[in-house]
Amino acid sequence: MKLLTHNLLSSHVPGLRPGGGFPLRIELGHPSELPPEPVPNYEGDEEFLRRLHHVLLEVEVLEGALQCPDSGRRFPISKGVPNMLLTEDEA
Amino acid sequence: VGCDRSKNLVDICGEKHFQAFVCDALSVPIRSGSCDACISIAVIHHFSTAERRLATIRELARLLRPGGTALIYVWAMEQEYKNQKSKYLKEKNGSKNKDKEMNTSTAQRPLSDQEPDNSSQDSALSDQLLNDFKDESCGAKTVADFRLPVHTNRTSFHSQDLLVPWHLKGGTKKKEENVDTVLVPGGSKESQELSPVFHRYYHVFCQGELEAVCRSLDCVRVQKSYYDQGNWCVILEKL
Repeated sequence: MKLLTHNLLSSHVPGLRPGGGFPLRIELGHPSELPPEPVPNYEGDEEFLRRLHHVLLEVEVLEGALQCPDSGRRFPISKGVPNMLLTEDEA
Repeated sequence: VGCDRSKNLVDICGEKHFQAFVCDALSVPIRSGSCDACISIAVIHHFSTAERRLATIRELARLLRPGGTALIYVWAMEQEYKNQKSKYLKEKNGSKNKDKEMNTSTAQRPLSDQEPDNSSQDSALSDQLLNDFKDESCGAKTVADFRLPVHTNRTSFHSQDLLVPWHLKGGTKKKEENVDTVLVPGGSKESQELSPVFHRYYHVFCQGELEAVCRSLDCVRVQKSYYDQGNWCVILEKL
């Protein structure tokens, strides 16, 4: 799962407040290489842009999970594929 | 980005380095209004009630931004259209085709332009094999005993609601569709093995049906409506 894909995904657990399912928290085995916030004037910062491009388009989460911010429900990612299926009881 | 209900199929997409995830078409985990375009190819005809089919289209429309467009393909009841048979009908009786699996699972059906008379085909039901989905304990049910006909591949449809056989060939990873046979004739030991048959539910659409379902939604406009190789197709625009 690329970060651009993650940007589209939202938790669809029933009963969430509007917008409560976005963004899903990415759970990895290791810490991220990006700073927590973009620096001011990041548009001109080549090094930052290079790292941002790398994370957006070249890094993929193979194994991990996506966590719904409101409900805490975890959606597993396996072999790069997020499984967003809800169980019969949840849906 | 792509999605499907089958984890195994989506895993194949992952192996090919495509972006894809597993989900149900009735509840797509994508933010509303975030797509410029969506496609739904040979999906909606697998939903077993009109309500669910409508809900699928409504969900598809939710994903679109205003002005965004959707393309929907579903199998057509009419497999001969304007006196032309679709590829699906033409490739009867084991003629070689590279995309055998594709032909049966995607919409590849000709459509006849005569008005389909579904009710007259119901008499064929009793002649069909009992389907695997028939409720064994139907004595306890109050609904009438309804049997879904099992389709004979590469023939015209006699009912809008039916089960289409799919033969999973044993011993090999590649899934092939074998027309009407379980035992494949041939010399090799492998081909003599029984291959399991799966029955997949389809609701094939009549001319105008898909368009009518889409028109019942206020949030989209039907931009285009056409027939293509045994499929009824629409292009929708989100309002």
